[in-house]
Amino acid sequence: MKTITNILLVVLAFTLTACDQPTAKIHIREGIRSDDLANNIVTRPVAYAFSALIGERIEIDEAILARNDTGFLELNINGHNRSYNTKRFRYKIEWLDANGLMIQTKTSTWLPASATGKSSFSLKAVAPRVEAVDFRMDTKKWE
Amino acid sequence: MRTKIIITLAGLLLAGCATKTVNIDVINDDGKAVMALDYRDFDQAASEMIQSMIGSGALKKPGGGRYVMTTGRVTNDTMQRIDTDQLMAKIEEELMNSGMVVMTSAVGGKGAPDEMIYEMRDIRDSATGDEFKQETLAGRRTLIAPELSISGKIIQRNIRYDNNRQQVEYYFQLRITDLTTGLRFWQKESIIGKRGSNRSVAW
Repeated sequence: MKTITNILLVVLAFTLTACDQPTAKIHIREGIRSDDLANNIVTRPVAYAFSALIGERIEIDEAILARNDTGFLELNINGHNRSYNTKRFRYKIEWLDANGLMIQTKTSTWLPASATGKSSFSLKAVAPRVEAVDFRMDTKKWE
Repeated sequence: MRTKIIITLAGLLLAGCATKTVNIDVINDDGKAVMALDYRDFDQAASEMIQSMIGSGALKKPGGGRYVMTTGRVTNDTMQRIDTDQLMAKIEEELMNSGMVVMTSAVGGKGAPDEMIYEMRDIRDSATGDEFKQETLAGRRTLIAPELSISGKIIQRNIRYDNNRQQVEYYFQLRITDLTTGLRFWQKESIIGKRGSNRSVAW
């Protein structure tokens, strides 16, 4: 029992170490970068399995809203893919006016996005009306 | 008698197996992707184009006001029978709603989008024109010429991926040109790729 607990703790430590990587500005992928203690031919399958077991997927870090020079609202979403596999998904951004009402626009449609394993990604959207002051975003699986 | 019963039963069974027609949920369509271009592809391409145009700042008119824009020639260079208005109608609608441009129906790549502009002028110049109050008829030199034109192309490439699969690539290319100077203000390419069975036909 104690051995199993120790193994799980080691795997957890490896996984947490790997979680730091997406924030790095330069991302050198596995198979290109040198192996280390936390990520090598022995630990990798365990880390992959553990990541899948605990259900690591996409996470959003921040959503930045800013008005551009022409007066249109721009949205930048930064996130990262915690899993080891590429995650493909679709997202839809709806724009809201000052009264919180949804602005009907052709740009509010499901758009594709893809984030490679253990890496950061960014999404950018521009509101097509100056009345937009806020947004809401929905996601769904890539069919 | 027996044969008739069998035929009737077979008929009923076949009728039961017929695929039911359903309306597509165009807001959240979970239907499978198809090799040809469908409305979801046009929605995606149009959304990307509109956001790029508006975000680029190319449509901001120096000194304020709105640009007068026309849709020039948008070529369908695919193996499919596509009306390019499927793409351009969405883009024109959003550009007008953005308040950055006003579209003209007087000239366009496919001719005037609204022939009535010229038909009314023909009436004005004909004997029938006398039937109208003269002040309600459009005068000469009243049309406003476009300042910008949006034109482009939709291209298709079919590639053999392996023995059983093919890859179909669609390129949506649009550009905005200043008609006075000939300078290009904005340009974008949006790619949609599909990979599927060789038996699927993409035209």
